[in-house]
Amino acid sequence: MRRSRTPRVLGLRFTMLLHICGRRLRLHTGQELLAGSGIAVGVALVFGVLVANTSLTGSAGELMHQVVGSARLQLAGRSPAGFDERIASTVAQLPGVQASAPVLRENITVVGRRGARPVQLVGLGVDIVGLGSLGSRNFGQFGFRVADGLILSQSVAEATGVEPGDLVSVLTAGVARRVRVGAVLTGAEFGALASSSVAIALLPVAQKLTGLAGRATVVLVKPNKGATPLVARELRSLAAGRLDVLPADNELRLLDEAVKPNDQATSLFAALSIMVGFLLALCAMLLTVPERRRFIADLRMQGYDWRQALIILGCEAVALGVAASFAGVMLGYALSRLLFHHVPAYLASVFPIGSQQVVSLPIVLLAIACGMAATLLASLPMVLDLNPRRARDAAYRAAGNGSESISPRTILMLGAVGVALVAITTMLVLLWPTLTLAGGVILALATLCLIPVVFAGVARGLSRASEQLRGSGLILATRELSAISTRSVALAGIAALAVYGSVAVGGAQRDVLRGLDQAIVQEWSAAQIWVTPDANIFDANSITIDSRTLSAIARAPGVASVLAHQGGFLDVGSHRLWIRATPASGNAMILSSQLLRGDYVRATNLLRRGGWATVSSGYAEEHGLKVGGSFSLPTPSGSVRFGVAAITTNIGWPSGTITINTHDYTHFWRAGDPTTLAVSLKPGVSTAAGKHSVYAALGYNPALRVQSAH
Amino acid sequence: MSTLELGEVVKHYSSGAEIVRAVDGVSLSIGSGEFVALFGPSGAGKTTLLLLAAALIAPDRGSVLFDDRDVGALSERESARYRLEDVGFIFQSFHLMSSMSALDNTTIKLAGGGATVREARRMAWPWLERVGLGERAEHKPGEMSMGERQRVAIARALVNEPRLLLADEPTGNLDSQRTGEILALLRDVCHERQIPGLLVTHDPSAMAFVDRAYTLRDGRLSDELSAGSPASPS
Repeated sequence: MRRSRTPRVLGLRFTMLLHICGRRLRLHTGQELLAGSGIAVGVALVFGVLVANTSLTGSAGELMHQVVGSARLQLAGRSPAGFDERIASTVAQLPGVQASAPVLRENITVVGRRGARPVQLVGLGVDIVGLGSLGSRNFGQFGFRVADGLILSQSVAEATGVEPGDLVSVLTAGVARRVRVGAVLTGAEFGALASSSVAIALLPVAQKLTGLAGRATVVLVKPNKGATPLVARELRSLAAGRLDVLPADNELRLLDEAVKPNDQATSLFAALSIMVGFLLALCAMLLTVPERRRFIADLRMQGYDWRQALIILGCEAVALGVAASFAGVMLGYALSRLLFHHVPAYLASVFPIGSQQVVSLPIVLLAIACGMAATLLASLPMVLDLNPRRARDAAYRAAGNGSESISPRTILMLGAVGVALVAITTMLVLLWPTLTLAGGVILALATLCLIPVVFAGVARGLSRASEQLRGSGLILATRELSAISTRSVALAGIAALAVYGSVAVGGAQRDVLRGLDQAIVQEWSAAQIWVTPDANIFDANSITIDSRTLSAIARAPGVASVLAHQGGFLDVGSHRLWIRATPASGNAMILSSQLLRGDYVRATNLLRRGGWATVSSGYAEEHGLKVGGSFSLPTPSGSVRFGVAAITTNIGWPSGTITINTHDYTHFWRAGDPTTLAVSLKPGVSTAAGKHSVYAALGYNPALRVQSAH
Repeated sequence: MSTLELGEVVKHYSSGAEIVRAVDGVSLSIGSGEFVALFGPSGAGKTTLLLLAAALIAPDRGSVLFDDRDVGALSERESARYRLEDVGFIFQSFHLMSSMSALDNTTIKLAGGGATVREARRMAWPWLERVGLGERAEHKPGEMSMGERQRVAIARALVNEPRLLLADEPTGNLDSQRTGEILALLRDVCHERQIPGLLVTHDPSAMAFVDRAYTLRDGRLSDELSAGSPASPS
């Protein structure tokens, strides 16, 4: 016989191995498809969730790197109004600086033919070319010939129905301005930029549009090679405690922190998806267990050793797993685009997150690994026959109905494990509440362990009932139920996880996302009517509103009082904090329902007095803050010490919220304009009538929204 | 030149509190080229004796020697190798793989020994033709009659040129003409290759094809049967 060059695996030719596996997979096409579908669904859920999750930060990261280019540091302002752009010239002169460019970033609303879309306006100085970022690389081809216009991303242009050359309205700071669209960024060339809610303009244009003449919010800095520490020192000296010196891509760290609640909820969903996928696969594969066991028995009786049998089983599982996992990845990608493609509202309003799907190799490999693990685990029942203590023809001796009944001892053991898991989880969550989501996954496992015990209990109960009801069909049902099988448990497990998943995951998602919304609604309920520049209550942009208009609102029919709120975002460490400034003359500076620790009346009095702040619990815990203590807050006027009047909820903003009075805010942030107006109505005046009245007093300004909590 | 020697072999099974003496002190020697038959009623221990000879089970006492090697004491891996390379076993219940065609079933031992698909098929094909299944080679067991399945099992046992032939009721599902052909084939294989063969059967007509014959009753071997002795169980 001519010697074959085909490689051997444990004495089996590789081609023969494929031949055997191929024949076998083809025989049970229906069952294998069912098993494959189960695995694919599990993989798809995992992959879809992971892609959707990482796309949030991934697309923002891509966009951020496009904007900052080769910059390594940034000099950042601490208020939405930024700082004098002339600082950029001073920065450019600092030793060790290779290139620098001022940038103005503000939230605006673009209104086109088809509708309005909130976007982040990025105003770029021409010096941006020196950083090799999007200014030079991608816009070079049309060389800023749109100098007087606005450059929109494709997603914004499509949403607003705008084309190059069209005039659009830009709403910002309560003022509407018209500007021509110079270009629309389309295609793969611009990557995340094309799918982000971003508008780009030259710095003077952006300053004109936002009413922030001569201002910038950031100076991007590229130090010479090895000069980063020197430049950072120089920048800190220049900042004089009034500006922040940060890594150029610092916003990604802030986003990572802000996205955590969403990540945790989706991680729980991914973990449950893996379990459901595994159970689906197990269920389908159990259908073929008797035949597979007989096949293994036949092989061993013919002289295959256990390793050869194992390699054939493994090859079958791998073939099924790989095919199903790849199908799952494709399906998951579609799911991530169609179902999970959702940017939480609380993030979209603060970070420039694109709609681009970011698929990375580690995620693909992780999803495939989950699929493979599920397939291999589902193949385990056959592997048990390879135990040397079992007869080689054990498969023929067993009552082969494919149910693979579970012994009473195993049922008791699983029950004990289930109870132990519930007890351990309860203890863990009580001691460390941050482990709640991990506890959710453990409870799902506990549910699976407890199902056989529940089965046994129901069977026993029915058995007793059937003794009382002679001649009924109950006895047959009882017998079926008594033979508790792996497949029944797997099926019950899927149902249990589906219910558990919808309750736990849905609950977690609701807690995280809708819960945040609820906190926001609660905040909105502090006044009957709000006047804001857009739909967002924690808006960082101030409203340009004169005292005459303010008086007009106060005198408007049905209006009892108008209070001007202020605020904005402040980046502290890894937190983008919402600084919320409420007027001392208001009835409720904070709501009692927002208070977690401290006395409500005392806290309100301290806030009114000034120099005191309430701090949200996450930030307070991280910094070891207690009621009555104090902490430093970096402000545009330098570092300021505030007393802790109370600990509150995060008031709808996951990264943390600090409340102070408007007097302190005006003083330390050097900002007099309000960000929102809280309007109270006279008794008996309906919200609709009040809104109409306020809107009229505002002169029907399209740049301002008059909203109510309900 | 191979021999099979069983020396005072004992194999008991326990069924609850009861001990069943399947094989109870059997001694038997089959020389090279000898084709020996075992007759006996159901439950007499005939199949157990074959399983002992194939090292599928180990004796409680005594020895099972093949070419002076104690196959009852082989490790798991050695016994698998012994069955794969040395033994041709025709099982009473065939043990065919339902997922595979007759041809693939016939090649399964060759596959385990490292043959490629093409090599194994080329070697298996003539044996399928010899048992009269050349035209049914691509059919699966589920599409074949019991007799055809039995012949696939026979072809599979012979295809790897075994050094010991063990046959458990190999003609139980065949008509008389086909029975004669198959028994003659098995006898010829033993004679031509000079290998020992042990046949377990109920069929008295087998006497005409074997070199020696015994009756096994309650796990014990009778004296050698002569041509005129009653071969079938009473």
